[in-house]
Amino acid sequence: MSNKFSRRDFLKLAGVGAATTAILTGCGPASRFVKREPYMQMPEYTYNGLSTYYATTCRECAAGCGLVVRTSQGRALKVEGNANNPLNLGKTCARGQATLQGLYNPNRVRGPIKHTRGERLYTADANPFQDEFADATPNMDWDAATQAVADALKNHKPEEIAFLMGMAPDHLFDLVTDLAAATGINAPVRFGALSMFESRATLSQAAENLFGHGGLPLFDVGGAEVVFSFGANFLETWLSPVSYTRGFAGLREAKTKQRGTFIQFESRMSSTAGKADEWMPIRPGTEAMVALAIGKLVSDARGITVPHAFSDVDPVVVASRSGIALATLQHLAGIFANSTAALAIPGGAALGQSNGLAVAEAVLALNALAENFGRHGGVFFSALAPNQTEYQRPASAREMQEFAQKMADGKFKVLFVHGVNPVFELPASLDFKNALKGVEQVISFATFPDETAFESDYVFPDHHSLESWGYQRVVTGPAQSVLSGAQPVVSPFYDTRATADVLIAAAQLAGGEFATALPFTDEVEFLRSKIAPLMEEKQSFFSAPDLNTFTAYFQQYGGWWKTSDGRRVPNTSNALGREMSPAEAKFAGEGEFFFVPFVSPTMAEAGANKPWLQELPDPTTTVMWNTWVEINPVTAEELGLLDDDIVKITSEAGVLEVPVYRYPAIRPDTIAIPFGQGHTAYSRYAEGRGKNPADLLGQHFNEAGDLAFAGMKVKIEKTGKQQPLSRLESIMGVYGVGLGEEK
Amino acid sequence: MAIELKISEVKMSAEQSGKWGMVIDQDICTGCQACVAACAMENNISFVGEVDSGYGRSMHWIRIERFWEGEYPEVKMTANQPMLCQQCGHATCEPVCPAFATVHSQAEQLNLQVYNRCVGTRYCANNCPYQVRAFNWRDYKRPEPLSNQLNPDVTVRRVGVMEKCTFCIQRIHKAQDVAKSEGREVVDGEFTTACAQACPANAITFGRVDDPESLVSQLMKQSHGVKHLEELGTLPNVTYFKGG
Amino acid sequence: MSDNKHHAGHSHEEHLREKHLMLDPLPRGQMNDMVMESMLEKPTWKFWVVVGFLSFIVVYFLFFKWGVLIAKGQGEAGVMRPDYWGIFLVNTVFWIGISHAGTFISAILRVFRAEFRRPFTRAAELMTTFGLVQAGFSIFMHMGRVWLAYWLMPYPNQRMLWPNLHSPLTWDLLAITTYLLSSTMYLFLPLIPDVAMARDRSTGWRKTFYKTLALGFRGTEGEWTHLRNAMNIFAFAIIPVMFSVHTIVSWDFAAATRPGWSSTIFGPYFIVGALHSGMGAAVAVLAVIRGTMKHMKYFIRGEHFDAIGKLMLIISMAWAYFFFNDYMVQWYGGDKWTQQLLHFHEAGPMGWMWFAMLVCNIVIPWAILWNPKWRATPWLVATVGIIINFGMWFERYIIIPISVTINRMPFTWRLYKPGIEVPMGIGTLALFILLYMIASKLIPLIPVWEVQEGQMAHELKKFGRETVVSVSELE
Repeated sequence: MSNKFSRRDFLKLAGVGAATTAILTGCGPASRFVKREPYMQMPEYTYNGLSTYYATTCRECAAGCGLVVRTSQGRALKVEGNANNPLNLGKTCARGQATLQGLYNPNRVRGPIKHTRGERLYTADANPFQDEFADATPNMDWDAATQAVADALKNHKPEEIAFLMGMAPDHLFDLVTDLAAATGINAPVRFGALSMFESRATLSQAAENLFGHGGLPLFDVGGAEVVFSFGANFLETWLSPVSYTRGFAGLREAKTKQRGTFIQFESRMSSTAGKADEWMPIRPGTEAMVALAIGKLVSDARGITVPHAFSDVDPVVVASRSGIALATLQHLAGIFANSTAALAIPGGAALGQSNGLAVAEAVLALNALAENFGRHGGVFFSALAPNQTEYQRPASAREMQEFAQKMADGKFKVLFVHGVNPVFELPASLDFKNALKGVEQVISFATFPDETAFESDYVFPDHHSLESWGYQRVVTGPAQSVLSGAQPVVSPFYDTRATADVLIAAAQLAGGEFATALPFTDEVEFLRSKIAPLMEEKQSFFSAPDLNTFTAYFQQYGGWWKTSDGRRVPNTSNALGREMSPAEAKFAGEGEFFFVPFVSPTMAEAGANKPWLQELPDPTTTVMWNTWVEINPVTAEELGLLDDDIVKITSEAGVLEVPVYRYPAIRPDTIAIPFGQGHTAYSRYAEGRGKNPADLLGQHFNEAGDLAFAGMKVKIEKTGKQQPLSRLESIMGVYGVGLGEEK
Repeated sequence: MAIELKISEVKMSAEQSGKWGMVIDQDICTGCQACVAACAMENNISFVGEVDSGYGRSMHWIRIERFWEGEYPEVKMTANQPMLCQQCGHATCEPVCPAFATVHSQAEQLNLQVYNRCVGTRYCANNCPYQVRAFNWRDYKRPEPLSNQLNPDVTVRRVGVMEKCTFCIQRIHKAQDVAKSEGREVVDGEFTTACAQACPANAITFGRVDDPESLVSQLMKQSHGVKHLEELGTLPNVTYFKGG
Repeated sequence: MSDNKHHAGHSHEEHLREKHLMLDPLPRGQMNDMVMESMLEKPTWKFWVVVGFLSFIVVYFLFFKWGVLIAKGQGEAGVMRPDYWGIFLVNTVFWIGISHAGTFISAILRVFRAEFRRPFTRAAELMTTFGLVQAGFSIFMHMGRVWLAYWLMPYPNQRMLWPNLHSPLTWDLLAITTYLLSSTMYLFLPLIPDVAMARDRSTGWRKTFYKTLALGFRGTEGEWTHLRNAMNIFAFAIIPVMFSVHTIVSWDFAAATRPGWSSTIFGPYFIVGALHSGMGAAVAVLAVIRGTMKHMKYFIRGEHFDAIGKLMLIISMAWAYFFFNDYMVQWYGGDKWTQQLLHFHEAGPMGWMWFAMLVCNIVIPWAILWNPKWRATPWLVATVGIIINFGMWFERYIIIPISVTINRMPFTWRLYKPGIEVPMGIGTLALFILLYMIASKLIPLIPVWEVQEGQMAHELKKFGRETVVSVSELE
């Protein structure tokens, strides 16, 4: 829709003051001096009841959705989606909505702190409902902090300095990349638990193997007629949930075609699978062979020669191994074969297994069979972001293992951590916490007192994303090439400082090649230098004669994007000619249950410190504020387990005690635990709440280096303890428990 | 006979005067909770903590219901059903309040909850067949600085007061004020409720049901729309498209 | 032979006198002294221990906990979605029910001239007033913002805000207020001759107290006429009030749109239920008075327990009829939510309570009260009365928090777990007993003039060899 609007139209609408296309303000660097006034004391420039709206970018995950934040008297009041941004077209997910709960979180780091490792940064048992200010007091000023960073840069050899960064924001990553390139320090490593559970490395590796060209595939769900998803939880957290949800809506309410069919292959019914027309409770580890068998059956159904890729598989064997009857496989193949717009998506737990790469390749090969590459409802390569020349994937878990090993070996003397919480997000078996001990100096730029900040020597808090400048490359989702822009919507609440500003100032202090690498007065100047080249681009959403105007528009619209389709079409010439292995995945560990950790759709990896995200019911179980383990009711009965019974789950890597949720839509040989809780720090709302399934994960990787997080087998024991789970649903009304109707 | 006539007259007038309405497409609702979060953020809703939320005291103004059909492996999750105040034309909550704290808005045809008139008998919630009213069981505090987030357009409720979905009446009024100051009518789609605005699947459509041209009216005409518990004569203003 | 016969006749007369208070008159002065003595009797240490204990419960459980409830909110109680109503309203209905027996005994039996009523009308009327006090407390405890309770009153105000006359709760408030005022007046009117008697026999502060209460009553013919007229008017007028109160209480439920509540039989069903629990409570109170106060064995005899026992039996049967009538109609209605609810009542986690209710309200009264001998045994009838009260409390518990568990939105069903309501409910019970104990020391619990009046009207006459009880018309 936004493509059709001229700017004049937009400004007209903005004049109307509609909430969906709110008045966006781009007041340049001045907006960093927005004041927070008491409501009683009305500054002259505000009218009572009139709000100011700023466009910025969401950083709750790395997708880069555009936001419009309503502010009043210098307070951010409400987050809405930016209707102009082609990625989310005015929509947000629950986590985006709750961004403000992070901004106003009572346990933020309030200023630069020199810190003893392991010491707390806030009081342990702060009551969630009380106004206790028991956080660690900043004990240094920013001059000293900048000097500390400058010293760290200057006093170490370049190869002893490492940056570990989160998936967002991109501008800081670019700044550090530039710094690293100019000075020879280690290139920044990026990681995020979401990317680990998405198996991003596997996806791009599979694409490279099949198409000879790396990149992040984009699946046009909205244009498809039939969608087969192998574990991709694209309605929850996978890659870009808001845009994929829009795609799903397109699949279902298709205007010009039949209501699309959606089939999900997954051992546990995720909330994505809950929306599927058919859920295939496939035996974990058999995804590759099922995909190949469907490929073979589709070829048969179409009466074409079975391509080489599918020739090695015997559907009869597949049916017996996977638990999907042959007739069902044929039925599914029929659906796929008869559609002119069929689409197969690999993702999530299906790729997080020892044969994850093979699964991804097999599923992508199905698309080759459907010949949907580059077609409406098919597979593309995502448009590259405006200032990007090739797809940069985050570090895989194996690379993180290597990184941790280097740390433990003392290869790094200084570690800067920003935007990621590796102590919590990485599997406990990787022992990042201990690896940190091998690093002389750990400097955290954490906004929140997270687990990694607890293990740091310095905490130099960055602003919250709503107080920050920046941009985020949209790696997948829209057809266009999109750079989402961020600007502060409120003045910083605490004595925090933008990490980019700290690094620029420290580089100046450090002098030499550091100073020349970052020749900027501040973050904004750096940003302008990065945005300036976009002025030359053709087919842009807006253009301006000079940089000042251009950056003002950039802020006002919340970024910059092209008006043309930037998606690339994979080269499929060789996709079906490859040999594909139908081998089953190998599982590590002794137990009899397959273990599926999945990312909590409402909490994701960093939502636990937001009380309202804690109180959002999980879409499948409606549990709030806690972690549960999903067990099939039949299995539970065999083990003598009832709801809320705590079970001890043992894997080769660890032990976890979690209360049971008898989940009717999970294989009897599988259990599942959501990821997102189990913090030992990270504010009063997160700490001590629930359990972290990453504690059970061992160090097994697939061929692409992604963690085989769904490749574990575990044992379950009853503990005899109980912990009531807080559910929104009625256990009586939904399951009939306690109505006097049980068997 | 005379009485019958009167009842049908009342029914007709209420039906005709429905003003704001909502259509929810359960087929595309993914249950992602974005509407729930958006509602809480817009309307200053308190969070209540683990124990109280597990004991039916959560304050969500909108909740997403889902049930199960069949047993493994033929088990199916029923279509997510966002349940919120249906803004009934003949609301069962209204007549039972002894203090006139829940009343029908003549201007907007909505069920209003007058917080400062509420004495907390909880009769309205008891009598609501949709069970969508939330009571302030305690003075749930927002620790500083979380209170900075409070929307100044929405009353902050304290202990002992009933509350519920208002169809974001503050947004309705704002849009009407703006339109009035510009000497025009409110345009369909000019504003929407927080839940509809956030919904990534666009499953919620809000607008004027008395305007036959509005999107929501067009959608309501589709044959597969249902209204919940219509048999009680509540004349709900939320239409659901069932899944599948 | 004849001597023997005479003896037999004499013993029959003796037997009648022993059995019936009305036939066993004592001199007026002596009876007045007995009543005065029972009231002025120096309390034993046991009395003070009980008073102290009850006062502690009232102060701590009722008032302190209430303060906590007001300060912290209704979250302290067990209420939640969907059980927005809990034990506070159970207790409200329960106490209003208790209060019914007072009026029933006093007004209806007076109107129907049931002579056995005479010695215990006062005790029963006190039950009405004291029960209503507890009901009022309970309903205020239930309110989320009790400090604004006066908004339910139609008082003149600048904004022209009035209570909603469509709301059954407004009807309730008006009905209960009317009932409280009228029953208090109805308690007071027959008290006047007794306090006047007490005034003439006491000194010090008591004299002043009774003098004030007696309103200068001297017992002239004119005064008696006026008093009798007033009492007659009140006796007739209060009966419809009594019936309306509990009918209106039942409309709180019956007028609601909930499965299990929208029942047209609720009005009479609640009335009978109220009488059921009220008679049970009355008989328990009588047994305690008889057992603990001086001279009371003279005034309250087996015949009274026998008479009330018969009433209890009849009411129990009526209750059983209405219960099954209600059940059948609901069941036959075939609404799926109601079906679910009825099933939940019996088979749900609180099914034991449903069966206990039937045992307490039907099985035990029927099993014991049919026997005239058992019926005349005070402790046994009192025990049955207490059991019936448990049963009737269960019945209200089933109607309120258990029934609202099941509604038309199965996603919200949840079982109620009581919290602070329990100690506060115990507090109301303690206050009820405490008020009785205080009253027993302040006002004559026996309407001695009414007993004397009855005894004057009753005579044993001999017709030939037969001794016959004759009652002359008064006035």
